[in-house]
Amino acid sequence: MSTTPGAGRAAKAAALLMALLMTTSCAVRTTSILRDPDTVRIALNAWVGYEASAAVVQYLLEEELGYQAQLVQLDEQPSWQALDQGAIDVILENWGHQDLMDTYGPGGNGTVVDGGPNGNTGHIGWYMPAYLVEEYPGVNTVEGLKEHADLFRTPESGDQGEFLSGAPGFVTQDQGMIDHFGLDFQIVYAGSEAAQITEVRNRYADGEPVLFYFYEPQWLFEELDLVRVEFPEYTEGCDADLEDVGCDYPRYDLNKIYREDFAEEGGPAYELVDAWEWTNADQNAVARLIADEGLDRDEAAARWVADNPDVWRPWIPETDRA
Amino acid sequence: MSTAFGAAPTIRADGPPTWLTSRWTQALLVLAALLAGFAVLRGEHAFPALPEPFQIGPFFDRVYDWVVANRNTSPLFLYGFNYLSVGLGSAVILVNQVLTLLTWPGVTVLGTFTAWRVAGPRTAALVLAAFAVFGLTGLWSEAMTTLALIITSVLLALLIGIPLGILAGRNEGFDAAIRPVLNFLQIMPAFAYLMPMLLLFGIGNPAAAVATTVYAFPPAVRITALAIRNVDKGAVEATTSLGSTSWQLLTKVQLPLARRTIMLGVNQTIMLAVSMVVIASVIGAGGLGDAIYQALNKVNVGQAFEAGLAIVLMAIALDRVTAAAGNREYASGGSPVPRLAMTAAAVLAAVAASVLARLAGVADWPREWTLSAAGPINAFNDAVQDLFGDATAAVGEFLLGWVLDPLRTLLTDSPWWLVLLAAAALGLVLGGWRTALVAGLSLLGTGLLGVWGLSMDTLSQVLVAALVTVALGVVVGVLAARGDTFSRILRPILDAMQTLPPFVYLIPAVALFGIGRVPALAAAVVFALPPVIRLVEDGIRGVPPESVEATTSLGSTSWQLLTKVRLPLARSSILLAVNQGIMMVLAMVVIGALVGAGALGYGVVFGLAQNQLGLGLTSGLAIVCLGVLLDRLTQSAARRTG
Repeated sequence: MSTTPGAGRAAKAAALLMALLMTTSCAVRTTSILRDPDTVRIALNAWVGYEASAAVVQYLLEEELGYQAQLVQLDEQPSWQALDQGAIDVILENWGHQDLMDTYGPGGNGTVVDGGPNGNTGHIGWYMPAYLVEEYPGVNTVEGLKEHADLFRTPESGDQGEFLSGAPGFVTQDQGMIDHFGLDFQIVYAGSEAAQITEVRNRYADGEPVLFYFYEPQWLFEELDLVRVEFPEYTEGCDADLEDVGCDYPRYDLNKIYREDFAEEGGPAYELVDAWEWTNADQNAVARLIADEGLDRDEAAARWVADNPDVWRPWIPETDRA
Repeated sequence: MSTAFGAAPTIRADGPPTWLTSRWTQALLVLAALLAGFAVLRGEHAFPALPEPFQIGPFFDRVYDWVVANRNTSPLFLYGFNYLSVGLGSAVILVNQVLTLLTWPGVTVLGTFTAWRVAGPRTAALVLAAFAVFGLTGLWSEAMTTLALIITSVLLALLIGIPLGILAGRNEGFDAAIRPVLNFLQIMPAFAYLMPMLLLFGIGNPAAAVATTVYAFPPAVRITALAIRNVDKGAVEATTSLGSTSWQLLTKVQLPLARRTIMLGVNQTIMLAVSMVVIASVIGAGGLGDAIYQALNKVNVGQAFEAGLAIVLMAIALDRVTAAAGNREYASGGSPVPRLAMTAAAVLAAVAASVLARLAGVADWPREWTLSAAGPINAFNDAVQDLFGDATAAVGEFLLGWVLDPLRTLLTDSPWWLVLLAAAALGLVLGGWRTALVAGLSLLGTGLLGVWGLSMDTLSQVLVAALVTVALGVVVGVLAARGDTFSRILRPILDAMQTLPPFVYLIPAVALFGIGRVPALAAAVVFALPPVIRLVEDGIRGVPPESVEATTSLGSTSWQLLTKVRLPLARSSILLAVNQGIMMVLAMVVIGALVGAGALGYGVVFGLAQNQLGLGLTSGLAIVCLGVLLDRLTQSAARRTG
């Protein structure tokens, strides 16, 4: 290898410094922060499925197109704020958030645009271990939960059943469902997904009851045999009043969200991200490598990319195809 | 400081019997009154809600909406905050690029050499070991990102902190004015800083740099002020009498004489910055904190520990180098010319190393050169859980059922005014009227913020955690004071406990204690123990040998020696330890919410994750209120005893 990358970097640094000096001479928008045009900044939300998607997109951007792809760890809602501020370029897996689209989208201040589906569908719901349903048939229904609420009591939830909530950033309507169906349950906030999964695994290992907020696609389903609680199907608008929700969570067609200028300016990086679309099975395959086999995310991505050229070849812009 | 009620009661010959006027008896009477009131009035007693236009939460929410709508139009942002955020964000990126440009061999050469010149060969070896760990764990670039953020924010914090400190050291009025601000900044939980920073300065490096700066600069101000004030009065007078200007006095006398202490402030600032950059990964700061966070998302304790170890080593290395720079054992040796030559040689060597690395094609740390300890650590974690899981679960259940729940019920189900009065009465007994006033007002503050119930829940958890911490801390501290070997073994463990980011042991805590308030309590105890142990050990070691000898010669047993001489004489250190323990526990309220502690901490976490500024900020401010309350009460107790 030669010394040119170093010299290139130095030149780039100098150019960036110039840009900085120029921008400070007048009004400054948050979008004028130092940004390398060859770097794509991708929000990284906390769950492993998202990480799998980000890993593959990052890998392809770097290996196939020669970009730098930077993953920025953020919660869901702050990710939108980051797009608005110009701190990142894209959210790869968005779950709903119509309210944020109203604020920042074309109908709001116009800093973000919908990037269309990424091919994954997501479903949030209430889950419990399969062995509970074997022991108490029908416990995974509204009636069953009413009958067996005391089964789920813990020291933390007192004389009510415990419903274990997940990460604080996730979309929830649990209290509304508890109130609507008159369930004798108290929400215990696990505070983070890591804590929640640890607790679920422990109870599962001991064969104890546990009822918790979870979602698919999720890698833990590969490890534990979990059953979904049956609620009335979601219909449009049944979750309008979050204090009284008489239905299950909706199925989300997960979509991409772009920073307005990222989509506007285009370029090969944008084209790749825009063309990227895959299935839940694809995502799970990569997520399993990361979470279960403990691979680094880029190793996991490399393995998937090596095994699935037919899936990803079409995403590469034609001009860049080898 | 106060001469009110209860001051020096034993002197009054004609007053009531002394046991009744003892402050501790009076404090117990206050608690008994609270219990009696609770027994009679128990029930729902919500703190009355303020009328809508005066509610604080919704006000913050309106501020939030306004900022989102005006960020790129309002001059306040276009010519104010955005300058700072763009400048800072860019500064972090530039520092990071310099570090990348140097490549890992260059950075290692430069860092190790600097450490050697400033602090000698042993510290240089430590720095080298730290760099080796960054590389071997495969976290080199993450470590550099973190280092860049630390460098930028520490420089900024010193740039602000030292001048303010000089001003405060030379001007009493300014000192009095800035002190409450510094107190506020230091009690505010780190997490609660993040929300307003995120809003004003944007996501990622800028907000992280500002948050870290704000979090880290108070000790620089405090310690600089202290250093300037402590400069020998004789030297100052001599200079002034010679007709020096104020500027000459400062630069020729005060600063040089205060330098050693100021370096201590620099050191503290760096340590706070290290702990904050980990937390700032929540708002996209990247680096080692991010690595910890992502390992946790996969519930991979081993990976989180590796990144935690890298942080610990970075903290210890920075600590030792700056501490040595304060002492200047090595650097002052030699005349200026060879020093210049040495520096030039070091820079050349670093450049040469980086060029060589590029030529050899190893500008990035080669992936094959990494080792992972994650597997064994995970196995160890599982084994501990298998061994002690049942015992710890039983302890947890006991704590919940017999301690945490009853105390929480007492605080939440008593009428709010009764709790308020009890707090004020405690303040009166322990400190005096001013303490009573502050205690009452700070509790009233939590109610006015609209989070009375949550505050009482948090207060109950903080009190129990502090009690456990102090009990353990006193026992271990006494043992450490009596056994030199034990003390020597303990020291590096305490160092690591103090610098290890608490995120790392959250998952083991859940594994052992289940989800809820108990694992949060366990994590808080681990976090708060080191300073308590240190202060207790220090206090007992500081007991004058004459008193010990006098007692031993009278034939006391060692138990009598401990309870009658050592502990009473070390009382002011122990009360200071109680104060520090409580403040550290309070700093863990928000982090405890990540494992199910709920209450105020969850308000902060939820507010941050869901963009609800009102909830997040009111919860954070309520934690500050609780902090002021507990700080005042314990400090008064310590002062009146000492």
